[in-house]
Amino acid sequence: MTRAAATGVAGTATPVGTLAVGAIGVAGTRPRWRVRLRRDRALLVMCVPALVLLGVFGYAPMLGLVMAFQDYDLYDGILHSPWVGLANFQQLFTDPGFLHAFWNTLMLFSVQLVLFFPVPIALAILLDSLMSRRIRTFVQAVVTLPHFFSFVLVVTIFNQVFGGAGALDTFLRSHGVTSPFDFMTDPGTFKFLVTSQLIWKEAGWSMIVYLAALAAISSELHEAAAVDGAGYWRRLVHITLPGLKGITVLLLILNLGYALTFGFEQMLIQLTAVGPGAAQVITTFSFENGIVAGNYSYGAAAGLFLGATSVILILGANKVAHLFGEDGLYRK
Amino acid sequence: MHRAASHDSPLDSRISRRGFLTATAGAAGAVAAAPLLAACGSGGAPAKTGAASTGLLQRILPQYKSSSLFKPDYPSVDGSTPAYLSYPSNLVRTVSEIPGAGGSYSAITPLWGTIPSANNPFDQAVNKALGASVSVNPANGNNYSTILPPLFSGNKIPDWIQVPTFWAPPLNFGQAAADRLADLTPYLAGSKINKYPNLAAIFSDGWQAGIWDDKLYGFPSYTAGFNVGYQLYYRADILQQLGIGTPAIKSINDLMDLAKQVNDPKAKRWAMGDIFGYLFQPYNYATWMLDDKGNLITQWESEAIIEAMNWMAKAIKAGYVHPDQVAGNYGNGITEFYSGQMVIVSDGMGAWNAADAQKGQAANKNYTRASFDFFSASGSGAPKVPLEAATAWTSYLNKRLTPSQIEEVLRIANYLAAPFGSYEYNLLNYGVEGVDYTMSGTGPQLNASGTKYAGSSVSTYNFLVSPNNTMFNAGYPQVTKAAASWAQRNAKYGYQPLFYELNVTVPNSLSSANAMTPFSQTSNILYEVARGRATIADYQSTLATWKRNGGDKLKAFYEGVLTQQKKLGSA
Repeated sequence: MTRAAATGVAGTATPVGTLAVGAIGVAGTRPRWRVRLRRDRALLVMCVPALVLLGVFGYAPMLGLVMAFQDYDLYDGILHSPWVGLANFQQLFTDPGFLHAFWNTLMLFSVQLVLFFPVPIALAILLDSLMSRRIRTFVQAVVTLPHFFSFVLVVTIFNQVFGGAGALDTFLRSHGVTSPFDFMTDPGTFKFLVTSQLIWKEAGWSMIVYLAALAAISSELHEAAAVDGAGYWRRLVHITLPGLKGITVLLLILNLGYALTFGFEQMLIQLTAVGPGAAQVITTFSFENGIVAGNYSYGAAAGLFLGATSVILILGANKVAHLFGEDGLYRK
Repeated sequence: MHRAASHDSPLDSRISRRGFLTATAGAAGAVAAAPLLAACGSGGAPAKTGAASTGLLQRILPQYKSSSLFKPDYPSVDGSTPAYLSYPSNLVRTVSEIPGAGGSYSAITPLWGTIPSANNPFDQAVNKALGASVSVNPANGNNYSTILPPLFSGNKIPDWIQVPTFWAPPLNFGQAAADRLADLTPYLAGSKINKYPNLAAIFSDGWQAGIWDDKLYGFPSYTAGFNVGYQLYYRADILQQLGIGTPAIKSINDLMDLAKQVNDPKAKRWAMGDIFGYLFQPYNYATWMLDDKGNLITQWESEAIIEAMNWMAKAIKAGYVHPDQVAGNYGNGITEFYSGQMVIVSDGMGAWNAADAQKGQAANKNYTRASFDFFSASGSGAPKVPLEAATAWTSYLNKRLTPSQIEEVLRIANYLAAPFGSYEYNLLNYGVEGVDYTMSGTGPQLNASGTKYAGSSVSTYNFLVSPNNTMFNAGYPQVTKAAASWAQRNAKYGYQPLFYELNVTVPNSLSSANAMTPFSQTSNILYEVARGRATIADYQSTLATWKRNGGDKLKAFYEGVLTQQKKLGSA
């Protein structure tokens, strides 16, 4: 039992070990590699559950992606369905619905990135400057709580307040406004609506990482600067923000990785409210064509395109980070 | 042309449709096509269809043998559901022996509502009566369509499963049936069904829904002689209160005028919900139809659907539609109807019952649901309303069951199909006396435990197989009176649209066109036009794209099916 387990561990862990050696840049000889393996055994064992999870739920299902190159039939399965080459992709890139969904994805993501990204940073700095520990904890609890709500709940709450029959419009109607603006069904302002939902739900949660980074900045730096006559803004620009730079870049890159898959639930729930013109993104497109309509190959093709583009985005952003001398996803 | 006339006339096939095999087979013959004959259309593929030629259909379909234990207060008129005002006090046993032989079977059916705990007292009582262990696993009805494909593709279907007709197309069901499901033809065809009298009492039209490629696979549930997709309901108490009384809606313009009169957003009262789904009735369009020249078209190509979209867009623009419905948040629709925020809504025929009256009166003690009679959009001529199939609910058995297991299941099915007024029906719908319900003057009254288990599990067993629909509302005879007389008055306007009750299996290459995604997806083009976010021109271009990407070929395929039908019909 023990030996079998150990072999399994070694087998799985090999790539990790090699990577570590390579990363540190030591020309590892065979005996040293073994020594390291023995030394890190406990850590490697701890990696196993995560790797198994990744293998079973992350990599194994990827085999199903071959259906993007097939005319997938529910009963023939991926083993017997006929191959069609790139036909699904050809159809995809000439489908105005898909191109529009792609454009929506990029546009909605960009708006969210620009408007959402600074909010947790500002919130963290603001909270960090509060003196009273009690108020700090209270505010932190309040702004973090919505993270645990599902988007169904978030959208419902927004609808209760801003919807056509919601609190705001009911109030306006009772005060003589005959046709008040319906924030929930206007395709034009939809990008701001989803961004505000995201800020309300996630800003507090995202803030936690920045709070930790702020705590890591030595207070001696602030004290020394203050003694030298630096005011609050000067310290913010020269000490606080540079201290947050590393983590900001890392989160930015990780966010780009999600760029094309973000907000599936949020969009699906509101698709009927504003229409596909404003809310159809690639993930919802893939869902509607693949799962709902039963055109699995087409849905898978859209999904594969999305995955490949995400990888390119994340690697590209990482490269840029390295060019600017940042760590990015890993230290070069 | 001759055929077209017969389809457009609501009366000829309808009157004779109830009852006897000959009548039903005759009606079905009009919509039957021989399998494996090459279709004439440019689709090219052989048209494999649900039912065969008249003669073959006669051999496949179980023989109908009517059974009615008690005389209804409102008998069936033109196929309307018979209704009872009181509950029979002397229940009749229709099954003399315990049907099961101790076998155990797994099943999955959808459930809209709270899912009761497994193997609860009601399940135990039913299983004891069945003499077998039928463990039904109710699955959330709201995402039932998404759990079916993995079950079928992975060959993980249980012994018995409910697959509603409207969710069958994405499963490519003709092939699913052949590959995965048990063929019941050898057990039930023709006079073989006589062994199971309760099953034989289900209308042949119900059984026809379970025929795929010339074989009988399915058990029908909730079979009705008169079945329409939607009714237009309204709050009679609110119209009374507003001094409008009982309005006579004779045309679609009358409806708009009424909406204007009723609408008052300042008082949080909107005239209607999103009733677009209902409009095919006044405007008379059906999935497949013939145009003025007698050519086959889809409803998407009809003039009528454009008029319907424009009408809905006008109502939304005027602010007559509840904002939640405009936003596509239909989840609260029923609550908004109860609270009086919406006065006119479209809903299925099943919405008018005792439970509805009970919930509505809890919100407002004057709550009264009523329904407008059918009308034609223009207001001239008698309304013509395309009928829905006799049932959309069909359950199937797994192919891996052995013949002796299938026979045991058939005996169980015979028990489950026991009619209104029988001891078995009473058990399956109300549970055990003293445990789940108490018998009052108006009928069985569920107690707390009964509501929790029997009440929420009713559809669980009924979705396996159930007798023809009957109407009875314990404690609410006025609901039965209103609903039953509405059905008696309106059933005559129904007609069978093209390909009625025909399970057509389209070739794989046409399946994506057949899904009609641009018109059926969550936020489809019709929905967008009604909301003013897309124009009729956008609609036309979406239609043109769909036709180009397979829609025209699909039409050619259906033309082939139609030609076959005509040949067989006149033969």
